[in-house]
Amino acid sequence: MLTGRFPTGGPERSSAGNLGLLILRRLRDGVIILALVVAVIFVLTNLVGDPALVYAPVDATDEEVERLARAFGLDRPFPQRFVEYFAKVFTGDFGDSNWQKRPALEAVLDVLPNTIMLTLAGIAGAAVFGIAGGIMAGARPGSVFDRVNNFTSVTAMSVPNFWLGLLLIVVFAVGLGLFPTSGQRGWSSIVLPAATLAIVHGGRIFQLVRSATVEEMSKPYVLVARSKGFPRRTVLRRHVLRNTGLTTATTAGWEYVRMWGGAVFAIEWVFAWPGIGPLMINAAHRQDFFVLQAAVIIAGAFVVVSNLLVDLMYRAIDNRVRAS
Amino acid sequence: MKPKRTVLRLLIAVSVMALVAAGCGGDDDDGDTTPAAPATTAAAPSDDGGDSGGDTPAETTEAADDTAESSETPTTEAPEAPMEPTELVIAVTTEPSTLDAQVVNDRAARVVTGNLFESLIFRDRNAQLAPGLALSWGPIDETTWEFTLREGVMFHDGSPFNAQSAAFSVNRMVAEDFETQRGSYIRGILSAEAVGDYTIRVNTDGPDAILPLQMAQVPMVPDGAGDEMNDSPIGTGPYMFAGWDRGQSITAELFDGYWGEGGSIDRFVVRVVPDKQTALAALQNDEVGLVLDILPEQVDAVPQAKNVPATEFSYIAFNTYVPEMSDPNVRVAMNLAVDKELLAATLYGGYARPNNAQHLTPESLGFNDDVGPFPFDPDRARALLAEAGYPDGFQVTMNVPNGRYLRAEETAQLVAQQLEDIGLDVEIREWEWNEYRSAGRIPGTEEGALDLKYGWNSNEWFDSARVASHVTCEGRSSKICDELVTEMFEIGATVVDQNERDQAYQRAWARLHENPHAIYLLQQDLIYGMAENLVWEPRLDDEYYVAEMSLS
Repeated sequence: MLTGRFPTGGPERSSAGNLGLLILRRLRDGVIILALVVAVIFVLTNLVGDPALVYAPVDATDEEVERLARAFGLDRPFPQRFVEYFAKVFTGDFGDSNWQKRPALEAVLDVLPNTIMLTLAGIAGAAVFGIAGGIMAGARPGSVFDRVNNFTSVTAMSVPNFWLGLLLIVVFAVGLGLFPTSGQRGWSSIVLPAATLAIVHGGRIFQLVRSATVEEMSKPYVLVARSKGFPRRTVLRRHVLRNTGLTTATTAGWEYVRMWGGAVFAIEWVFAWPGIGPLMINAAHRQDFFVLQAAVIIAGAFVVVSNLLVDLMYRAIDNRVRAS
Repeated sequence: MKPKRTVLRLLIAVSVMALVAAGCGGDDDDGDTTPAAPATTAAAPSDDGGDSGGDTPAETTEAADDTAESSETPTTEAPEAPMEPTELVIAVTTEPSTLDAQVVNDRAARVVTGNLFESLIFRDRNAQLAPGLALSWGPIDETTWEFTLREGVMFHDGSPFNAQSAAFSVNRMVAEDFETQRGSYIRGILSAEAVGDYTIRVNTDGPDAILPLQMAQVPMVPDGAGDEMNDSPIGTGPYMFAGWDRGQSITAELFDGYWGEGGSIDRFVVRVVPDKQTALAALQNDEVGLVLDILPEQVDAVPQAKNVPATEFSYIAFNTYVPEMSDPNVRVAMNLAVDKELLAATLYGGYARPNNAQHLTPESLGFNDDVGPFPFDPDRARALLAEAGYPDGFQVTMNVPNGRYLRAEETAQLVAQQLEDIGLDVEIREWEWNEYRSAGRIPGTEEGALDLKYGWNSNEWFDSARVASHVTCEGRSSKICDELVTEMFEIGATVVDQNERDQAYQRAWARLHENPHAIYLLQQDLIYGMAENLVWEPRLDDEYYVAEMSLS
C-alpha cells in the first residue's frame, strides 16, 4: 500500500529528563531577562523626574516635597533602595503603590485576568483568520478567496491598531449598534477589541502561513504525490500542513508575544478595557514606580512563558527540533 | 471521508468570514453614524495650581420626582412595583488612584469624592463661599479660627458628624506622615480641637486670611477613619459609595440619611474611558450620559454640549532674571506681539477668550476691572523693543510640555511665530511632563532656569492668593521680584478683612500689568458632552455634583 512516506520526521523520542532540563534552562534565562528588565526600569524611572514632585501639588514648597519623598522612602540612597527592591521582589513583595495606597502586585493582579482574556480571544481569532485562511489561500494562490484575504490582511497590517479599533467602534458600535463601544460589560464587550487584535495579528500570520503553503505546494514531493493521483486536499492535509506547522506555530507564538509587547495595551486603551495597559500608562504618568515595575515584570513573565510554550510546541510538531 | 472534509472546510470558511466581518448578533438599536472628529491626544486642562476638592452645594436644583419614564401610566394592580432606578454614567479619562478624598485631588477622583464627601464650607454656584457642614466661622485671635458646626448630619455608616469627627478630619490631614495631594489646603494649619459638641477651633502657625478657602477643601471623614477610606470611602454627602470595579468603574447610590435636599438621580457610575474618541462614541451610543471635557471640534458630534468659562488660564511665564527680559518694557512688548483673539479662534474653535492679564475670573477676589488683555499691536511692540535697546531682537528659548495641556504645543508654535515677527529669535523646546516640572522649579537666577515657560493655571480658589507662588519674590514658581506686588500679596495672605485684601490684590494686578510676569494668553472654556436627557448647568468651579443634575 502506497501511503505518503514523505518528509514528515520520524517518531524518535527524547528522554523526559532532557525536556525537564530544557524547561529549567529556559526559565532560568527568563528570570535573568526579567531581572535585567527590572534593573533597567528601576534605573530609568528613578532618573526621570521625581515621584514626590509629581505627587505634590504644583505650588508645593520644597519642604512639602521633601516630606512626601520621606514618606515614599525616596530619601534613602538609590543603591540601597535598588538592592532592597530586588531582595523583596524575589519574595513576591513588589512594594506598595504610592498612589493607590495598596500593594502594587494587588493592583496588577486585579486587572491581569482581563488582559489575559483579551489576548487569548485575540490570538484565537488571529489563528483562525491567519492559519486556516493562510492555508486555504496558499493552496490555491490567485483564487478569489486568496485575493480577498490577501488584500484584507495587507490592509490590516498597514493601519495602526488603535485606528482600526476606532474604526470598528464607529462602524459596529455607533453605526450598527451591534456591540458596546467600550468597557467590559457582558460577553459582547470583548468582540470588538478581540476582533481588532485578530485582524491585525491574524493579518501577519496569514501572510507568513500563506507564503509557506505556496512554497511547500511547489516542492517536488507535492508534484510527485499529485501525479500519483492524490487529491490536492489529501496532500495538503497529510504533508503540507505538517511541513508548514513550524512556520505556523512560530508566527502564531510570536504574534502572541507581540501582543504582550504592547499591542494589547493600545487596544485596551482605545476600548477602555480594564486590563494592565491603562494601569501601566497611568503608572508611568504618575511615576508610580512599583505598579509600573510589577506590571512590566508580569507582562515580561508572560512573554517568557509564551516563548517557552512556543518552543515546546515546536518539539511536538517537528521532530527535527527535538534532535537539536 | 468526503463529507467530513467538506464540513471542516465549511466550518473554517464560516469562522474566517465571521472574523473578517467582526462578529455578528447582539441587539438592534441603531445609532447614527457620525464621522469621528480628528483624533487628538488632549490632556486634562487643569494644573499649575492643583485642582480643587470635594464638597457639595447647599442648594440643589429643583429636581422633581420624574425618575421613571413619564409616559408610563400608573398601574392600579401593582402599586408597589419598583420603578426602574435612574442612573447617570459619567466618563472620565483616568481611573482615580484612591477614593480617600483627603488624599486625592485629581479631577477623576473628585467626580466621585465630591459627591460622597463634604467640607465645612461649600462654594455656591456663583463660586462664593457658603455655609456647609459649618454654619458660621470667624477668627477669634491671630492664629485661631472657630467654626460652628451643623447639627443633625450623619455619615454613611450611621455615625454622627460632630466636633469630634470634624477635629479628627483636620488633624488626620495635617499629620506629619499623611501622604496627601492636597498640601496647598493644609499649609499653615497646625491642628484642630473640639471645644464643644458642635464647635471646633483650628490653629494656624500665623495669621491665615485664606483659612476659609482651605477649609472648603478639607473633606470631613468619620472619627477614627484610616486606610479603609481608600477603597470604601465614608462621608456625609448625598451619595454613598456602592462599588468599585477596578480598572473600569465606580458606583455610588443616593444616601437616604442625607441631611440636605439630596439628588433625583438614584445612582451614578463613573466609568473610565481613557480615549477621547471612544468616550465620544460611547456618548453617541447612549452608553454614557456625561463626558467631561470634549474637544472644541467634537461639539457638533454630541447630542448636547455645554460650555462654561473655566478658571483655566494659559500663559507663558518670563524669567525676568534673564538680562534681555529684565526690562518691563520688553515683556510688555512681548505681550503686545501676541494675537490672543487669533489663538482663541483657531486653536480652540472660539471656546476660549483673551485672559484679562490676571489669572482670575471676574467673580474672584482681587479682580481688577481696569486691567484688561494686552491689545495685539506688533508695531508698538517693535518700537518698545527698539527703545529697550533690542532693535534686532534677541534669542530666547520657549519651553512647553508634551501632551499635557490641550493644544499647548500648537499655541507655543503660533506665539513663537508672532514673537519672531517683532524680531525675536525663538527656539521651541518640548519636554516630557515630569522632567518639565523639575526644570520649572529651578529658580530664575540659577543655571538651567527656563527662559519662557508655558503654563496653565487653574484658579479654583477664586482668589488671587492662588497665584502668589507665581508672582511674589519668594514664590516657588516665581521668576520675578516686584516689591510692591509682594507686599500686596503679603497683605492678601494675612489680613482677614476681605475688602482690604481685595484692594491690595487689585493694586498688585495693576502693577503686574506694567511689570508683567508672563505673556497672558487665554482663559479656556470647559466643554461637556451630554446625553439629550441630562439636565445640568456646568459649574464655574470644575465640580460635578450629581445632586445638581437630573434626567428628563
